[in-house]
Amino acid sequence: MSDPILSVRGLSSGYDPIKIFRNVDLTVAKGESIGIFGPNGHGKTTFLKTLSGLIDPWSGEIIFDGQRLNRPGERGSRKWRNFNYDAVTRRRMDPKQVARAGLIHVQQGNLLFPELTVAETLSISTTAARGRKGWSLAEVQSLFPRLVERNDHKIRFLSGGERQMVSVAAGLMSAPRLLILDEPTLGLSPKIRAELCAAILTVKETGLPIILIDQDVAFLEQIIDTLYLFDHGRISGRMSREEMPDHDGLMAILFGDQH
Amino acid sequence: MDPVTLFSIIKGGIVLGALYALMATGLSLVWTTLGIFNFAHGAFIALGAYVAWQFSATDAFGWPLALGIIATSLVMFAIGAFLHLTLVKPFERRSDVVLITVITTLAGSAILENVLLVIWGPRSKQIPKMAEGELAVGGFHLALSEIILLVLVLAILVGVGAFLRYSRPGRAMRAVSQNREAAQLLGLNVPMYFALVLGLSAVTAGLAGVFIGTIRFMNPAMGSEPLMKALIVVIFGGVARFSSPIYAAFIIGLLEAFSIYFVGLYWAPAVLFFTMIVVLLIKPEGLFGKYQRTL
Repeated sequence: MSDPILSVRGLSSGYDPIKIFRNVDLTVAKGESIGIFGPNGHGKTTFLKTLSGLIDPWSGEIIFDGQRLNRPGERGSRKWRNFNYDAVTRRRMDPKQVARAGLIHVQQGNLLFPELTVAETLSISTTAARGRKGWSLAEVQSLFPRLVERNDHKIRFLSGGERQMVSVAAGLMSAPRLLILDEPTLGLSPKIRAELCAAILTVKETGLPIILIDQDVAFLEQIIDTLYLFDHGRISGRMSREEMPDHDGLMAILFGDQH
Repeated sequence: MDPVTLFSIIKGGIVLGALYALMATGLSLVWTTLGIFNFAHGAFIALGAYVAWQFSATDAFGWPLALGIIATSLVMFAIGAFLHLTLVKPFERRSDVVLITVITTLAGSAILENVLLVIWGPRSKQIPKMAEGELAVGGFHLALSEIILLVLVLAILVGVGAFLRYSRPGRAMRAVSQNREAAQLLGLNVPMYFALVLGLSAVTAGLAGVFIGTIRFMNPAMGSEPLMKALIVVIFGGVARFSSPIYAAFIIGLLEAFSIYFVGLYWAPAVLFFTMIVVLLIKPEGLFGKYQRTL
């Protein structure tokens, strides 16, 4: 196996004071796409938010393409009595730098910028690219033809599916080297959902590695090479695409046969 | 009421409104973007006036006023950005940031006012007028300096509005104000845009101070009364759009001019506060406001 593009070791984090996930180890090889599957409320989204630096890691390390993204040291190690310097002064991780390194996170149900138009949003989406070549506006528009006619509409007037398309488009224009998609098809109508899935498949076929959270096993199977099961804030299983059972099989693994 | 009096009241109201618009815009920029209320805004007003005086007064550097105004803008921008780094940024991630920054910006305001006192002394000063002469048609008088003031304020507000709407950093600023997390994920430098916003807000406050300094006598505490009015404007008008505090500023300016004429100088603030309370009772988000705060 070649050098991994992302390597996560012993990562823990949460919302103070509750630890949401603990000791997560995960590796994404170059060119590999992985999926994360698990019940709602068990820390998948929190884990992704920690990867992209929105939430500070409490311990562990995140190494992206040989570069360590979080500052070393345990959370709260710089304490004086009850005063936690880190909480006031410094972040343990900077989301802006994560994005600029090419780890791009497309959030779940992202509202983006409600009062900006689609065109304005896409015009500021090249910030993270920093000289890397991302998707051009024309390429993104041919991937999502719907966005062309919506170009001058404010995001808050778009449907959920169109918002999701803008989010993915903005992510692609940020020149990702690894794209994180957090339940991109959640709550969409079947037609829009099919469009979005097809687009994501197109993206995958360009060779861009993806971390995908989704509840649809058939869709996961199309995109990913390896599946991680996420359960009670831990990784409880890892399997290749060939070993993946169907949806009922996965539920049986997660909850036992009586789910 | 004879037409000449009516004209001079309306004229006075519009000049006041223009000044309030300039101050309220800066205040609401910070409020919508950083989600904090900047109590040092009044001190920015006084600081701008004194810095401009230093550049342009005949007994100081004596530069032309236009040059002085540009230099003042640069100084104010730097000071605004610096105060963001010292007064606001260290507490940004705390959940009680609003309360903490009330105290820190009040402290900053007190420090700035006393710095002004130490450097320039307590004696009242005045910045040279922007222009001498006036237009007079019949009994109607309009000073040239008032026309220049209105034109400049309008140009500044249009300029700031266009910057936010059409320029890339302006769009990024709006993005940051609407969704901080999503802006970070796109690689935008959120702390830098916050400093930029505070710098911009300090520039508008400072310019308002310069204009006030050309009309009235200046003293280090000159910013506190305009700050109160700007606060009334922001609450009265709401902050749904960039333009809502501007409309509100002209309404408040006219209202103040008329109440000074009809109920007297000392009761005018009471009328303004009463109006604000009535608006809050009927439409809590402000006259032009919506519940969310965006830029």
